[in-house]
Amino acid sequence: MTLSGENLALGYTPGTLVVDDQSVTIPAARVTVIVGPNACGKSTLLRGLAGLMRPSSGRVLLDGSEIARLPATELARRLGMLPQQPSTPDGITVADLVGRGRHPHQRWFRQWSADDEAAVSAALHATGTAELADRPVAELSGGQRQRAWIALVLAQGPGTMLLDEPTTFLDLAHQLDVLDLLRAVNAEQRRTIVMVLHDLELAARYADHLIAMRDGRIVAEGAPSAVVTEELVASVFGVDALVTPDPLTGTPLVLPRPGARRHADAAGLRDQEI
Amino acid sequence: MTATLVVRRGPVSARIGVRGLVLATATWTAAVAVGMAAITIGEYPLPLATVLDTLAGNGSLITYDIVVTHRLPRSLTGLLVGAAFGVAGCVLQRLARNPLVSPDVIGINAGASAGAVVMIIGFGASAAWVTGGALAGAVIAALTVYAVAWRGGFSGYRLVLVGIGVAAMLGSAATFLLSRAEINAAYAAAVWLVGSLSGRTWPDVVPVAVGLGLLLPVVLALVRRLQVLELGDDLARSLSPRVGRARAVLLACAVGLSALATASAGPVGFVALVAPQIVRRVLAERSPGLVASAGTGALVVVAADLLARTAFAPRELPVGVVTAVVGAPVLIALLVRGNRIGASG
Repeated sequence: MTLSGENLALGYTPGTLVVDDQSVTIPAARVTVIVGPNACGKSTLLRGLAGLMRPSSGRVLLDGSEIARLPATELARRLGMLPQQPSTPDGITVADLVGRGRHPHQRWFRQWSADDEAAVSAALHATGTAELADRPVAELSGGQRQRAWIALVLAQGPGTMLLDEPTTFLDLAHQLDVLDLLRAVNAEQRRTIVMVLHDLELAARYADHLIAMRDGRIVAEGAPSAVVTEELVASVFGVDALVTPDPLTGTPLVLPRPGARRHADAAGLRDQEI
Repeated sequence: MTATLVVRRGPVSARIGVRGLVLATATWTAAVAVGMAAITIGEYPLPLATVLDTLAGNGSLITYDIVVTHRLPRSLTGLLVGAAFGVAGCVLQRLARNPLVSPDVIGINAGASAGAVVMIIGFGASAAWVTGGALAGAVIAALTVYAVAWRGGFSGYRLVLVGIGVAAMLGSAATFLLSRAEINAAYAAAVWLVGSLSGRTWPDVVPVAVGLGLLLPVVLALVRRLQVLELGDDLARSLSPRVGRARAVLLACAVGLSALATASAGPVGFVALVAPQIVRRVLAERSPGLVASAGTGALVVVAADLLARTAFAPRELPVGVVTAVVGAPVLIALLVRGNRIGASG
């Protein structure tokens, strides 16, 4: 399962590109995290890779075939995307929600096969939401709710899962919870995972492959320890920081220097044409 | 697990929620029972046995006239109009993920009414032309709301606000026409504008019956897509890449059903808004089913019409007055609640 973008140009209004002529290859069966400051185009790149936006030029390939040309249900079985704020149907239970992930596997005459049931049950167990199955989603805590949404994508069963900021609005414990779950999904089920994250340190901790973006362009990619350097933090995020190996994991730890933004300002790095 | 029936035979499988099935059956049974009761009640009361005899073809000339020519088409129009509004409201509310987005709030019924009033007053037109006018008006109103409110997504208060604006404009246009019209035409149009089942005959049954017959199967065939669309546009397209087409068809069906129901009985207010909410909140069904919403809409209209006919007998109220008295508080409650939680889409 290899997902790649070739010379992708993506934008919401004609004439304004949010992502400009970028090529990217997502390593198969790994966890890839896209980072960058607000409005750098990271979510747009993810949406483009998911096929939710039609590129104004370039193309997205899944295992060598262009996703725009793949049959709709086949694409939906192979590539799943969890947006940042999906909407919860009024009153729906966890089991029903996860069951809706089976849509691409169903037909009007095949609405609830044994496979559907097995996939939903596996997804509920993998995400630790089995005991919540009959609870209304609206009554769950933020962390539980996010696990239910991830279970929906797991039930969909795609080899490649894209997630847009799956940890926003969660407290630290639940952020770790969700990221550990995604790592486990990657390790146990060999699914390729691509996500956009806000937090650079968590990104460095959980990613196999890190993509840093700024102003609609990919400025660095590779292993987190190679990508997250003091120069990159200064040039991409406009923050003057000390980057040091995390004593627990060895991944890069970013420590902004006191008054980092003022230093950055002096260096002419503040809010560069974002 | 919540009670569901799963049926599997080879490659064929289906899953039915027991609660939804019970509710659908119960609401339809109740609606038909009230509709039958309404046939027995009136200035000339008939026992149920006589009504059934007459329907079986064994009635006298006078019972035939009362039952088949007058009361049956009225009951039937009520049932079908209620069902059509119930389905249209349910589809729109679920598509927009907002209980306020129903055809009577977002201007579709107002468009149908304005179109029909133009036909009644401007051309003194027959039923067929009134139907055509209602359809055209509803489609124009829907397209206007859609074009102004659409911002890369179909949801939320924007749609409600634009719809209320469009409804107000169309309402004042209809009033303007009334004020210019000849008195008899104006009276006919004014009664029609409230929504009335008074004097419905077989030709009035036709538009809504045809509408339900053609559009309900389409809507039911798209229920699975509707369930996916409820998850939000991005997730829906990730699960079903060409789901945009299904949404357009569902919208068109909802507009068509409201327009044809309006053509048959006038814009009977609040039924489309209230029916899915009754299913959801009073009957506590998690997600309002289409068949249960249709049954509830039918029940609401026939019960309201029975009340309108008997409460101040021998004077009759238009059914729309009764549904408004019941429906308006529900609308206010929804608005207040939506305001408090700050959003609903």
